[in-house]
Amino acid sequence: MSIAGDLIRGHTDAIILARLLRGDSYGYEINKMISTLSSGRFELKEATLYTAFKRLEETGCIRSYWGDSGAGARRRYYTITPEGRLTCGKLLEEWKETKEIMDKLLETEEWK
Amino acid sequence: MKDKLIQYVDLLFAGARDIEDIKQEILQNTLDRYDDLIAEGRSPESAYRMAISGIGDINEILGQSSQARPAASAPLSRKKEERDTPTKKLLRAVAIGLYMISLVPLIILSEMHMATLGFCAVLGICAVATVLIVLGSKSQEQVSYTAPASPKTSSPRKALCDSICRAVWVAALVLFFLLSFLTGAWLITWLILPVAGAVQGLIKAIFDLKEATEHET
Repeated sequence: MSIAGDLIRGHTDAIILARLLRGDSYGYEINKMISTLSSGRFELKEATLYTAFKRLEETGCIRSYWGDSGAGARRRYYTITPEGRLTCGKLLEEWKETKEIMDKLLETEEWK
Repeated sequence: MKDKLIQYVDLLFAGARDIEDIKQEILQNTLDRYDDLIAEGRSPESAYRMAISGIGDINEILGQSSQARPAASAPLSRKKEERDTPTKKLLRAVAIGLYMISLVPLIILSEMHMATLGFCAVLGICAVATVLIVLGSKSQEQVSYTAPASPKTSSPRKALCDSICRAVWVAALVLFFLLSFLTGAWLITWLILPVAGAVQGLIKAIFDLKEATEHET
């Protein structure tokens, strides 16, 4: 898990952008989505998540705004920018290529 | 238990500046997580522990935002400072030692009724010591030059400290010669020089302390 975790963590930006493509969201909700989609096998730490938000905001891929949700909880929502969409597409292409290469490189008869 | 969680996050960010937004966001996420864990049927204690462990390494955040822009270059300049400090310290120590020792030839030569020669020796040694101090501050100026974005507070303050020290030495030397020639009490007036050395050490210490406390916050 820990090695897989590191590998996944290397794609934090792509994951966040892909999640935001589905609509605006806030930190915990995104993390919960990540946890659910990975069947509880992977989750980001708040610090990692926040650092990624910060980085993406600085590069203009996402924007944030404060929103209120019901019980007085102030949440910072994130929304993807057109630039973020482009970046997301690029990262997705890169991932597909990486995946293809890795599949080839790790292909052996023994484990088939 | 929620209060405890709020308290924990407060403590986590204690001392960091410009982080109200970050704190707010992380606290809210952590509280959400806690609520969810409780809803899943966890005990408050275990939910508290899990919520906290979900925060992760906060230094990841503080490293890049609380110190804002200068942070990008601060580690570099600090490293340079660390590397330069031993040489600077050595230069300063040797210089102060020379200032102290400079009196020895004066005393010995005065005993031999060659006070004038003793003087020249004192002046010569003091000159060497001053050159060492200037060299020390030079190497430091280079540091602040190669790291232009180093925290503004550090270099002007160091420069101020150095110029105060230099002024102290000039004043001490003038006072020393003035009093000595006027009173002829060489055996007493030489005390001015070690006192000046001590004053310099004190000034440096005060400046270093101020800087250290600033780095901490």
